[in-house]
Amino acid sequence: MNLFQLVIKQMRQRALGTWLTLLSVLLGVALAIAIIIIRREGANLFGQREYGYDLLIGVKGSPLQLTLNTVYQLDRSQGNIKYATFDELLKKRVYRADIRFAFPVCVGDSYKGRRIIGAQPQMFGFADNGQPAEGYDATGKLLAGYQSPSLDTDARDPSQKVATPSLEYRPGKKYQIAEGRMFHGAKFEAVIGADIVKATGLKLGDVFQATHGMPSATEIPDIHAEKWTVTGVLARTNTAADKVIYIPLTSFYTIFEHGEAEIARDYLRKGWNPATKPAVKEEDGEKRHYTLSADGIITLDLPTDVLEVSAVFVKTRGAFNTSNLQYNVGLRDDIMAVSPATVMREFFDTFLASSSLVLLLVSALVTVVAAVGILVSIYNSVTARRKEIAILRALGATRRRVLLLICVEAALIGLFGGVLGLLAGHGMAAIGSVLLNSLLGQGIHWAIIDRTELLYLLGVVILATLAGLVPALSAYRTPVATNLVAG
Amino acid sequence: MELAQLKKQYVGPDGSVVPVIDIDHFALGDGEQVALVGSSGSGKTTLLHLIAGILTPDSGDVKFQLNGSAVNVTKLSEAERDVFRGSNIGYVFQTHHLLPGFTAMENVLLGMSFTGRSPDPAWAKHLLEEVGLAERLNYKPEKLSVGQQQRVAVARALANRPNLVLADEPTGALDPSSAQQVLELIRKLCTEVKASLLIVSHDPAITQQLPRVVSLKELNKAHK
Repeated sequence: MNLFQLVIKQMRQRALGTWLTLLSVLLGVALAIAIIIIRREGANLFGQREYGYDLLIGVKGSPLQLTLNTVYQLDRSQGNIKYATFDELLKKRVYRADIRFAFPVCVGDSYKGRRIIGAQPQMFGFADNGQPAEGYDATGKLLAGYQSPSLDTDARDPSQKVATPSLEYRPGKKYQIAEGRMFHGAKFEAVIGADIVKATGLKLGDVFQATHGMPSATEIPDIHAEKWTVTGVLARTNTAADKVIYIPLTSFYTIFEHGEAEIARDYLRKGWNPATKPAVKEEDGEKRHYTLSADGIITLDLPTDVLEVSAVFVKTRGAFNTSNLQYNVGLRDDIMAVSPATVMREFFDTFLASSSLVLLLVSALVTVVAAVGILVSIYNSVTARRKEIAILRALGATRRRVLLLICVEAALIGLFGGVLGLLAGHGMAAIGSVLLNSLLGQGIHWAIIDRTELLYLLGVVILATLAGLVPALSAYRTPVATNLVAG
Repeated sequence: MELAQLKKQYVGPDGSVVPVIDIDHFALGDGEQVALVGSSGSGKTTLLHLIAGILTPDSGDVKFQLNGSAVNVTKLSEAERDVFRGSNIGYVFQTHHLLPGFTAMENVLLGMSFTGRSPDPAWAKHLLEEVGLAERLNYKPEKLSVGQQQRVAVARALANRPNLVLADEPTGALDPSSAQQVLELIRKLCTEVKASLLIVSHDPAITQQLPRVVSLKELNKAHK
């Protein structure tokens, strides 16, 4: 009978006490692990420090809301800015001088709870017809001999050509097509994020209809008449973009309700003028602001000045230009330019970092309480087993062996409780992920066991062993002769 | 086994010194079976504990001749005494002192666990068969009668084929019939493994069956 068999046997002998101690460790560890996961995922989700773009431009309001909505696909859009304003940014010298390139996006619709974003193929490195732009292959990857348009001028290699402007979601990381092809900029086509296949069941060739807004389960969804065909699946980015469906910006404006709302808002800005109201076509009982050619090309019947965009991703020409553009845009009454890195750092530092530190302290205390539970449980057991310990000593077990026996028992309780707690913690995180997903459309990576968790688990085992040392020393000092005679 | 100038005294709560053991000389031959008799409080158990190395004497020697080499237990460290005891001495207590969570077989195997040698389940099974518990190998102590429990304790004491078996009132808690059975088993198994036997008892029915009876009153000067 080796040491482990002996320990397991003794643990089974007082199964109820062992299980209850295990349970206390399990609960403590589960809570701590859940907190570690929340802290890690919070940092991953909101603590991103590097973006492939420098500024987000949107309607004047909350910088945090603009960032959460545009980058993380969370929260509501604060409203739109005029397409003409976007145009102005690209054309007016005061802004153009600082902007290297800019891509507008529109939000507001969803499919099965996943956000639909209107974007231009150019944002992904493709021409308006969906063909690769200069410098990219069919998947959107940089071709040999080309360098990223996001590289600063002084960092560029003069021997290489610069590829057509496209957006990088992180420095050096641009969107790529994993399957299928990019959508045509003026067709009812879509490319979907890597998680969309699993989340909605959509796959290449599938046709879907957009739902207006993000209705809750109790609301009756307003499903738009237009139908999009999935032409491509984006490669995984490990950002919120994986949970998004991209459609051409032009097709976004075809949705009758969007067009009507934009016209109405335009009247609010300019005043009512029936003469400028765009004509409304009616086909198959559906009202439309566009014409569809035989090959599926959309021609909008809406004047450009009524069109709107939700936000603009901006890559500036350098750090100075970023501040300059922010200042110049800030002078306007209608729009603002925010640095997502600054906004998220402030948000993370002021809210998440401090609150998660408190949670971490709580989890440390809970772990210590669990360790004290081990100490008390094993101490009581040792007190009750003094005679048994004396018998083991009489049979030839040395003091060290008895010490080891108790410490191994404590370590095993720490290990089993810790492993079960680790699993339970991930289970809690999985439930949290499902809830978060249903609330925000953004889950967390609950299944990943990282180094911190393993180190924590090791810490729990060490703490449990140390907790076992107190009763073990008591057992170590058990006088054999006295306890053999007693009882 | 040989005791020489062995002395042990306790200090009472009031600081008074109480001599318990004071033996000039006592020897036990290879395979010899001896009964040690004495009244309650005469130091019988203390003497067995000194021989087993559970207690250390204030002075004197406890010597063993093993395979031609001499071992003085009193000169060993505590850990060495523990290992020596586990390997060379079998102990039968007045009450069985079996571990309650372990089966009869496991209790015997437990006796083999602290010698540094691999446990021998076949020998453990043989011992339990010898003490008439072939059908009770997987019974826990609570499912065995007191007599059966003591027989498991006898088997455990012989588990490591010891050189010496110390039995401290092994039949004290048994009825006469069971007591006789247990005594016969101890003697038989000690003969089988060629172990010496020192059995402490104050029951004349038991002691008179052994070839040599030593009175602790005569031996121990502390109580004269």
